[in-house]
Amino acid sequence: MQEIHIVGESIKFMILGMIVVYIFLVVLIQLMKLQAKIIAKYFPEKVIVSPPKQQPAVQSDDDAARTAAIIAAIADYKKSNHNKKV
Amino acid sequence: MRVKKLLLTLLLAFAALGSVALAEEHKATPAHETAASEEAAYESKSLWKMMTSFYDTTGLKAIIEPQDGVKNGLGQDMSKFSQSWGRVIMFAIIFFLFYLAIARGFEPLLLLPIAFGGLLANIPIANMTGEHGMLGIIYNMGISNEFFPLLIFMGVGAMTDFGPLLSRPKTALLGGAAQFGIFGSLVGAAMLSQYSGFVDFSLKQCSAISIIGGADGPTSIFIASALAPELLGAIAVAAYSYMALVPVIQPPIMKALTTVEERRIVMKTARKVHKLEKLVFPLLVIMMTALVLPDAAPLIGAFALGNFAKESGVVDRLSNEMQNSLINIVTIFLGLGVGSKLAAEQFLVAETMGIMIIGLLAFAAGTAAGVLMAKLMNKFSDEPINPLIGAAGVSAVPMAARVASKVGSEARPGNILLMHAMGPNVAGVIGSAVAAGVLLSIFK
Repeated sequence: MQEIHIVGESIKFMILGMIVVYIFLVVLIQLMKLQAKIIAKYFPEKVIVSPPKQQPAVQSDDDAARTAAIIAAIADYKKSNHNKKV
Repeated sequence: MRVKKLLLTLLLAFAALGSVALAEEHKATPAHETAASEEAAYESKSLWKMMTSFYDTTGLKAIIEPQDGVKNGLGQDMSKFSQSWGRVIMFAIIFFLFYLAIARGFEPLLLLPIAFGGLLANIPIANMTGEHGMLGIIYNMGISNEFFPLLIFMGVGAMTDFGPLLSRPKTALLGGAAQFGIFGSLVGAAMLSQYSGFVDFSLKQCSAISIIGGADGPTSIFIASALAPELLGAIAVAAYSYMALVPVIQPPIMKALTTVEERRIVMKTARKVHKLEKLVFPLLVIMMTALVLPDAAPLIGAFALGNFAKESGVVDRLSNEMQNSLINIVTIFLGLGVGSKLAAEQFLVAETMGIMIIGLLAFAAGTAAGVLMAKLMNKFSDEPINPLIGAAGVSAVPMAARVASKVGSEARPGNILLMHAMGPNVAGVIGSAVAAGVLLSIFK
């Protein structure tokens, strides 16, 4: 008796679970669409303006870091080679 | 091959040690008796006593001569089988897990610490799983109270990019369809328990097992420790092994359910996503959770925090910490703590076999539901949708998306579906967290 109960209950769980998951996701989809519209309407320019400004700065930083790393690596290599000779 | 050999030698060494000890034991017992009856050579007697009492403390004796009434670290009685052969079998299983993790690359980051935790848990006498044992401390620190999986989820959130989902919101439906893997296998588990007769799962246990279908390790551990801690070891091992097997399990199902023409569909490039959309998204999800499903709040909250920290762009130090050191530390603890549940008396039960079967079923059902939903969407949508991306709806980020992309480029070389598949993939993470919240709310 109790075991029949288990399968019945699990089917109820399935129906409830799938409904909740779908409601959650459908509402989320609508909200995503809505926020995309709102953001496109009220903050349209930031996308175009800010990235080009930031990117060169980031890149030059990167270059500086890379140069520093290369210098450090060369120094390290020299040191280790020197040690080997001694 | 080398690993295989190594494992074999280890096993052989173990067997040899066992037989030597057996021989020793036969010699030792009469000698001990004569020494005791003579009561002459005091020195030698005490030496024998010392030796025999030392032998009593060895793991060899514990394995070779199982006693009645021996308790494990948690104070439960251990059967003679789980004291002796059970441990030997577990050592073999654990060496096999090592092989899978190291030689085959199956989710090594978690499988290796889990298996090692299992190795430690099966050491006789040491009682490492007990309240004051190393594994027991770790387990009580963060697994029995469901804390570690949340920290992992935070790190996963900090690594996830919702861009692909935001650029094509409706693919979230695919992430929902794949959650059929969870609920379908819940019914499967209940039926197995009712009709097969070789396992007897309660509804709570069925729910904990079915969450394997979410293809999400931390969620599985979270739910298992909340609903059925006694099955945690088997559930975690099943979840992580099947996640590693996604490239093997999914493609045949994907190919069986789609035609070549469908697999060749090329999808349009997605629109660019505003940075602000990504920033607002975790807040949207949190607000939805707060209103609809507070029971999923721990999982989704941790996930959203990680993602928010990443997208805010001002706390890179925190977000890097979540993505790297923190998640690594917690992974070690989580693995060892889960491994403590691989003790013979808890793992070598009929239920483990049932969990393995249901877990496989759950993965297959999730994949199939995702693909079928994508086919349906392709019929009714104005822009073409390749049904393969539906298979990525089972979470398993980013493995499932990679598999979808690979099967797609087999049908049409150069057709890269990866970014399209990432949408359902990350929606699957949210979907399985929601499904987990539903299961938790039922048993409240």
